[in-house]
Amino acid sequence: MSENIYPNHRSILDREFRTIYSGEVTTLNYLTTATANEFSLIVNFVDPLVEYDRFGKIQPALATEWSVSEDGLVWTFKLRPGVKWVTYDGEIYGFVTAQDFVDGLKYVLTSENRSKTANIVYNMIKNAKEYYNKEITDFNQVGVKALDKYTLQYTLIKPIPYFLSTLTYTCFFPANGQFIKDVGGKFGIDNKHILYNGSYIMKTYEPHHRRILEKNPHYWDKENVYIDRISMTYNKEANVLAPEMFLRGEIDHVNIGSDIIYEWMRDEKKKNLIRPNRTNFFSYFYSFNFNPNFSEEYEPENWKIVVNNRNFRKSIFHALDRKAAMLTEEPYEPENRLLNTITPKGFVSVGGVDYTDLQPLREFTQKDSFNIELALAYKKKAMKELRGKATFPVKVLMPYNAASKQWANRAQVIKYQLERILGKDYIEVIIEANPPTGFLEKVRNSGKYGLMELNWGADFADPETYTHPFRRDSTFSWIHLAEGNGKEDGLTIYENLLQKAMEEVEDINKRYLLFAEAESYLIEEAFVIPYSVGGGGYSASRINPFEISYSPFGATSGRFKGLRLLKRPMNIEEYKKELYKWQMERKGQFEGGRE
Amino acid sequence: MIKYIFFKILQSIFTLFLVITIVFVLMRSMPVEGYLGEDYDKLDQVQKEVIIESLGLRDPIHVQLKKFYNRIIAGDLGVSITYRPGVPVADILKSKIPYSLGIGLTSLAISFVSGINLGIIMAENSGKILNKLGNIYIVATNAIPAAIYYILLQFYLTDIFKLPMLFYADRPISWILPILSLSLGTTASYALWMKRYMADELNKDYVKLAISKGMKMKDVIKKHVFINAFVPMVQYLPASILFTISGSIYVESLYSIPGMGGLLVEAIQRQDTTLVEAIVLIYSFIGIMGMLFGDIFMALLDPRIKFGKSEGRI
Repeated sequence: MSENIYPNHRSILDREFRTIYSGEVTTLNYLTTATANEFSLIVNFVDPLVEYDRFGKIQPALATEWSVSEDGLVWTFKLRPGVKWVTYDGEIYGFVTAQDFVDGLKYVLTSENRSKTANIVYNMIKNAKEYYNKEITDFNQVGVKALDKYTLQYTLIKPIPYFLSTLTYTCFFPANGQFIKDVGGKFGIDNKHILYNGSYIMKTYEPHHRRILEKNPHYWDKENVYIDRISMTYNKEANVLAPEMFLRGEIDHVNIGSDIIYEWMRDEKKKNLIRPNRTNFFSYFYSFNFNPNFSEEYEPENWKIVVNNRNFRKSIFHALDRKAAMLTEEPYEPENRLLNTITPKGFVSVGGVDYTDLQPLREFTQKDSFNIELALAYKKKAMKELRGKATFPVKVLMPYNAASKQWANRAQVIKYQLERILGKDYIEVIIEANPPTGFLEKVRNSGKYGLMELNWGADFADPETYTHPFRRDSTFSWIHLAEGNGKEDGLTIYENLLQKAMEEVEDINKRYLLFAEAESYLIEEAFVIPYSVGGGGYSASRINPFEISYSPFGATSGRFKGLRLLKRPMNIEEYKKELYKWQMERKGQFEGGRE
Repeated sequence: MIKYIFFKILQSIFTLFLVITIVFVLMRSMPVEGYLGEDYDKLDQVQKEVIIESLGLRDPIHVQLKKFYNRIIAGDLGVSITYRPGVPVADILKSKIPYSLGIGLTSLAISFVSGINLGIIMAENSGKILNKLGNIYIVATNAIPAAIYYILLQFYLTDIFKLPMLFYADRPISWILPILSLSLGTTASYALWMKRYMADELNKDYVKLAISKGMKMKDVIKKHVFINAFVPMVQYLPASILFTISGSIYVESLYSIPGMGGLLVEAIQRQDTTLVEAIVLIYSFIGIMGMLFGDIFMALLDPRIKFGKSEGRI
């Protein structure tokens, strides 16, 4: 519409970043929220003990050095002296001390505060669960102590190799006890009810209207903050308006959705303004349900019989054309989003080898699961084995959340492509739109599906984090109910593999190999079909995505610290060059080391 | 009339009570997952229980209802649960209502005045070009979905007149387009109804009588027809005025106006029961008040309308 194509605009202030957002935060209370949207704003206001740099390497932040005891249970941190707490109007409130970390955890573990991240803390810190459950009332017994003004000590329940990474979670962030007391129940309700020690202060916060962030002049690392002011304007229709606003030079960053990407790619001028987004560490996969609880019309009893047949599962595993499904949202480079394992590539590595390249996981990493020949071979076997036991065609109930247009598109594609390959004599895929309200509870957790797309994001830097959906206590797909999953000591084969991996806390190499073995088992048995990673898509932006703090979980990837504004947006070719450069530099950083 | 009003108020209180009770019970019967929002998966059983219990959601429904009534009677709208946890609902509403009210009232005033005038002009020029133009405008605003012409206005007019694309409270120039967008549809409907009532009146015998007695058409319209046609228009005016506080979902979303539009929908989606109840309470109150004032206004303007049986039939 507008003739003004970006580079013509010269009025842009070089140290101000302007953006539009469509999801408002509900709170700034970083001690209670567990929502990524809120994390990514708050990390600009409060610093953690350690932070991730642009290669995903842990760097000192509020802690300058740390050590762990022989038995791996006691972690001691030396804090950076002289870091200031500042109020929203820029007044110095006091200094950040070890006690602030204790006070923060005390708030999280006080159940009346309804912290949604309390479990992260009490599953690691000694006596934390007891305090949360009110079995003990003396907080001094909880495993967090201020040894002196600048020395902080955590005592863990068990050795946790990835403990450092969890400190980037906002529940471990410091909070001034006196301030919390002063503001009472209002801690974090808006910009005036938190203290700042991070790179930015939120001067203005008008929910559903705008936020203005200004560089914190008292920040300990202000040399590494290059953007002076960030103005974020709320707009619910951002996906419609923001592209035009970007072209008019009114904003500096916009996501180009799959609905308009064709138009931008066709226009030479516009095409030159966009670049791919980086993918994130959300893992999407298709799971078979071993606890079918859906309506009789979809024949749950029949489903129970067929889903316990390995060949049936494998026929679907190989017939699922993941690329075709991905084309609905990533029409240009769908391969970049596909994932052949549950744990995403680049999540963790050991000795310079990516976790997904460890044996036996490497077998899956290297090839696409889609294979028509194999699918038909397994179909033949399954039909033979199930003859007389199950009725064909099998009704495959595949529900989706009606709020997601892309999910709906995907479900359509998968239905027709599975039925085409495997034949309607074998399966009938039933796609079912469900209302978004209470979707997970009503559909997934109630077992009202046969095959369904599920997802999980990482909580800490260890492959263990991606095993959660497959455990007995999860309500994802009840794999432990699968027949022929061999039981030893009441545990399934998978649970035994998992237990062995989790018990290995000293030799990281061995630990990762054991997790890789467990994950391979899940895929080999076709309990689950890996699908993709989240994120992706395209943006027009003055941000260089390779300067962003690189962390697969927690919070720090929303930080503006360390970012410089580009004179003009990066295009696709430049992105590819930068990506290659980044990958090479990163390799150098991790060679021989573990992360 | 006083008796009538008193009776109406009693009836209104009962209706209000019924509405908020039904909404309360309905909201409480929604799945508890909703209170935990998108963080649901990351919580363990213990935490879910602690959170739900501390919100008082495990109490029997009559206990919850009793607490709710006590709170409402004390004039406390409660604290938001999920929309902005910990923030008093009254504060949320206080920050939003002025935006919707300001934009809504301005646009209502514009559409009322221009709609009524347009209606009169159209009635006076029945069959002529002005009437036809008016009809085109009315049909167009009714036939084209508002969502479409809103966005076209926003894209083109901001580009042509170099106006800001979004609303900024401190830049009055940015208020023009949202107000204009809101006025277009309502102006058309006021014009349409005014024209209709005028046409009805113009066909009545008293008009013919007045003309035959030698009065000028212009005077008949000004002195008799207008006021008679205007009375039914007034009935819904109080409700329209009061309902401006509910804002406009689409105009507010398009221009980033932090008003009330869409708040109820979002509160329901996020299952923020206290917020939903407060909004429903306010909207029902307004609805009832709007009708009451409408009746009173009509009675004041039209002496033929009487309340109460003893004063004769309406």
